Amino acid sequence: MAKEERYDVIIIGAGHNGTTTAAYLARCGLSVCVLEERPECGGAQETCEPIAGVRIQPHAIANYGGSAPGWEQLELWKYGFRMDWDPNEVVELDPNQSFMTSEGLVPLTDEDIAGWCKITGQIGSPPFMKELMRATFWCPPHPPEVELSEDNIPYMQVYKQFQPEVWTRELLEMTLFDLMDEYLVTEPFKVMQAYIALSSGAHGHMEGVAIPALCSVATVMPPAVAKPVAARGNMHGYFHALFRCAVAHGAVFRACCPVEEIIVDDGRALGVRLRDDATWGVKKIWANKAVISACHIKPTFLDLIGPRNLDAGFMQRIKDLSLKGGSLYMSHFLTREQLRYKPQYRIKEPGEYGAFHGGFFPLDSRENYYENVRVVLGEQSNLDIPPERAMWGMVASELYDPTNPQCTRPGQYINGPLWMMVPTPQYNVDGIDAMDRGAEKKKWDEYMRAALASVVENLDDDNLIRMFNESPYEQEFRNTGMLGGSWYGIRCDRDQWWNERPLPELARYRVPDIENLYMAHQSSAHPGGLCLMAVGYNLMHILIEDGIAEPGDWWYASPWYIPQDGKIPANRS
Amino acid sequence: MVKELVGKPHAGSFFSEFPPESEWDVVVIGAGPNGLITAAYLARAGLKVCLVERRYEIGGGLATEEILYPGFYSNIHACYHMMVDYMPVLRDFDLRRHGLVWIKPNLQTSMVFEDGSSLLLTRMLEDTADSFHKFSQKDSASFGRVMRSWRKMVSEIIAPGTYVPPMAPVDMAVAMQRTEIGQKIMEITEQSPLEIITSHFENDRVRALLLYTCCMWGLDPRETGVGLFVPLLIDRGMNKCYCQGGSHKLASSLAKEIVQAGGCILDSSQVNKISMQNGAVSGVELWEGRTLKSEVVISSLDPHTTFLDLVGTENLAGDLKDSVQGWTWDKWSYSTLHTASEEVPRYACRDPQASEAFMTIIGFEGTDQILAHWDNVVAGKIDRESFGGHVTCQTLFDSHLSRFPGKQVSFFQMHAPYAIEGGWEKRGPEMAEAMLAKWRKAAPNMKPENIIRTSLETPEDIEIRLPNMRFGSIKHGDYHPMQIGCFRPNQDCSSAKTPIDGLFLCGASNYPGGLVIGGPGYLAANKVAEEMGVEKWWKPTPEMEKYVRTYLE
Repeated sequence: MAKEERYDVIIIGAGHNGTTTAAYLARCGLSVCVLEERPECGGAQETCEPIAGVRIQPHAIANYGGSAPGWEQLELWKYGFRMDWDPNEVVELDPNQSFMTSEGLVPLTDEDIAGWCKITGQIGSPPFMKELMRATFWCPPHPPEVELSEDNIPYMQVYKQFQPEVWTRELLEMTLFDLMDEYLVTEPFKVMQAYIALSSGAHGHMEGVAIPALCSVATVMPPAVAKPVAARGNMHGYFHALFRCAVAHGAVFRACCPVEEIIVDDGRALGVRLRDDATWGVKKIWANKAVISACHIKPTFLDLIGPRNLDAGFMQRIKDLSLKGGSLYMSHFLTREQLRYKPQYRIKEPGEYGAFHGGFFPLDSRENYYENVRVVLGEQSNLDIPPERAMWGMVASELYDPTNPQCTRPGQYINGPLWMMVPTPQYNVDGIDAMDRGAEKKKWDEYMRAALASVVENLDDDNLIRMFNESPYEQEFRNTGMLGGSWYGIRCDRDQWWNERPLPELARYRVPDIENLYMAHQSSAHPGGLCLMAVGYNLMHILIEDGIAEPGDWWYASPWYIPQDGKIPANRS
Repeated sequence: MVKELVGKPHAGSFFSEFPPESEWDVVVIGAGPNGLITAAYLARAGLKVCLVERRYEIGGGLATEEILYPGFYSNIHACYHMMVDYMPVLRDFDLRRHGLVWIKPNLQTSMVFEDGSSLLLTRMLEDTADSFHKFSQKDSASFGRVMRSWRKMVSEIIAPGTYVPPMAPVDMAVAMQRTEIGQKIMEITEQSPLEIITSHFENDRVRALLLYTCCMWGLDPRETGVGLFVPLLIDRGMNKCYCQGGSHKLASSLAKEIVQAGGCILDSSQVNKISMQNGAVSGVELWEGRTLKSEVVISSLDPHTTFLDLVGTENLAGDLKDSVQGWTWDKWSYSTLHTASEEVPRYACRDPQASEAFMTIIGFEGTDQILAHWDNVVAGKIDRESFGGHVTCQTLFDSHLSRFPGKQVSFFQMHAPYAIEGGWEKRGPEMAEAMLAKWRKAAPNMKPENIIRTSLETPEDIEIRLPNMRFGSIKHGDYHPMQIGCFRPNQDCSSAKTPIDGLFLCGASNYPGGLVIGGPGYLAANKVAEEMGVEKWWKPTPEMEKYVRTYLE
């Protein structure tokens, strides 16, 4: 039982980023072992069936990763990935789209569509959306010796090349609202995009992240509100393809194996030690070439590497990484009859009531957005907004492929999640469990229901069979990667983005003074979350530079990548 | 400008999609334990295998999921693995490298009574005999004697025979004459479970424990012709294993073997049709519109789904159609109350070990009460004043199931009718309450303040989650003399091959049956390899070889 185990690479955490990294490295022919704490791999890419025949999405919902090189490089279709995206479903360009405000529906205008398509690269000759997305997410930060400027920041180069009309130095300083005010006219449309950005990590009102925020919204490719919203089998189906790709190339995955320590000696990461209750009998596993932490950056440094290997100054900077930015309360609704909009929210469609496809509310003006921001980010306390003014977004099961049904209970319907920004528990001034203590949780469950009832007419007790609710506090227990209940690892603000994510000296995924140790979690690596296969792709550049990964002909580097001096360039042919 | 773009593809194409039509050597329908086993053997044999699963997750009854949402995982279906000691798949594949770890506790089953007394059924025989001493010295002695013979029946004949194609009854009767233990099996087969238990044991509580143990998976206690299951299920009931991390670990280990051998798994794909060409199978049609072409299709589904729904009655010969239509489902199903609690259930009895067992039988004071409950269930009823069942606290062996440190995940499972008077939709909440009250009576700490969450899985829920467990039939069909051995599912198909060219069966409705014993999957893999002329990379286990040598050659 105590026979030594040794791999080229050990990856801690079998969530989206750990698994993507495993797939890339296994495809390079390296022996890879991935260690997962939970009974099931997948991290945020999960789907569950809490009662028979009812599927819910506790975390990731929509496929943001459409532009990823990973689809080609990892050949995910071979492993059962099926998006079955109908390219004719182009909702961003749907002139019939309209937005829910407290006064009823507000339609989209041609000017909005034209403006949105222009800044996101959906029109132009040629269209450059994929290039814009790839420049923003799928390129490792430049080496520290390169001075950043508008001439080498990748997305700026894309605009310069493909859409010089949009390009201006100011893009680097703007908020998403600033950018939208320049190109769009309809306020509710802008508020919706800003709210998607807010709940995707790079906020609509934060200076200096206009383009990352724009891309976080636009990269839901196919669009978040198009059909289908996610792959067959939902986000866990997407995960299965990644996981099976890694397994097919020889990666070993072990669930129920929490890691207690990254073994560091003489400035090198040598392997890991598992917690005593790990299912696997061999508690020490050794890595010849690399230990990669795809779990949260704070426990990685504060616990797994620990003060025994780090100085106090560095430890403090890790402790100070901001988990702010709010978190999400998630609710699903199981009903006897399909949800129906109130008359003022019904889009004219064939059929008696029109389909229910969720949406966003209330989108009256950015004052609604800022009211949410005031409580969630400013006061950092439980919401004091009346539920009919609390902002939310919601996905309806109608947005999945009908042959991938979300509810197979006869005569019942599931819709959700409805998500609402709430304070990150870690920073809630009333305590980490302020939304969960005693009767509070039930109260907030009802609050979510009341919020949805602003636009839905049949949420009465007769129709509502059951809700499935999850507070950020509960999310952290379920998934320790959501430290402090945060969805974004660490906030995607200008001090924690790209060449400063998570800290300037860690931005190239390496760890100063500890050889063979790399970071690959959304909290520790550019570009963060959203299940983009981006951290793994970007990290590949670095592992090639360090001589660890030697990919075959299938590999191509980012066109915007700049090699580090003295290293092996990742873009050699 | 904008109007021109509506309905046009976005900037560039983003996905390479799985092709609408693809070709395979073998398509396996259903990724339950048997489908996974068949696919794993054949993929490693070098065949191009596609395994198709309707659900979003593979495993079928091997499901460990977060139904006590959020934060607690439960084994929502299979939890007790009785054939770990014998399953060839566990010897032929090194599943340990995927982290598969089995736990076989000594304290296998306890049974608690209202007067504070209890019985134990343990892996180590003498511990069980000790506990019988409390009630009957004679039974204690009988148990040792009987089990010596029953263990031999199981290890030499019944267990290895599980993984060898079935014999016709006449052939079996002749073959068993070759040895003394074989003759004993033929004698015991003719008796009913109730007769066997009462003839060997005098104390009613001892009888109750053993009767429950051998009939809990759906043997009719009064039926003759199924007696050989009694030694098997009691011996195996003393050797149940728990799969650490949950039963799904077994499924995921097999899935990894399939993928590593180049096989493909398509989940969230419902098969709508098994296609035929010139009387032979030509592939399957998926609901999503894809076609998987293959001259070999292996179904792990129940006979109605495979033959009536997917092949279609128009493609069935008369006698095959008749036998499929005559198939009878399990005589009862299960109602399971899953709970998350602050504390481990502690039973009100003098022996603390009763609370540490893998399974605890509660609610029954003797055989009459058990028989009355089963009679009720078969008649579509549950007497709220008099029922019982079995409980397992999974976190006793597996802390990983609770994401909240120190909290516990358990279930209380009882036999229940699919068609309950009044219907489950209406009766569910009331039954959940009655089950909790019953549980609390046996384990007083299961009071409301100890319970964090509950979730009731009714027979209807079993069918909704796993649709080919029709009418909640966890074994895909009853174990009665005309549906076991070479009659499972019928004499034409029990070897895994069907009269339809290219169509094979590998599910629980085939010999030797259900309960995650892995027999149908293994036998189908063997049969298909033989029929396709593919070299088998595996060999029978030594026990199977000895059995074949002794009885079949």
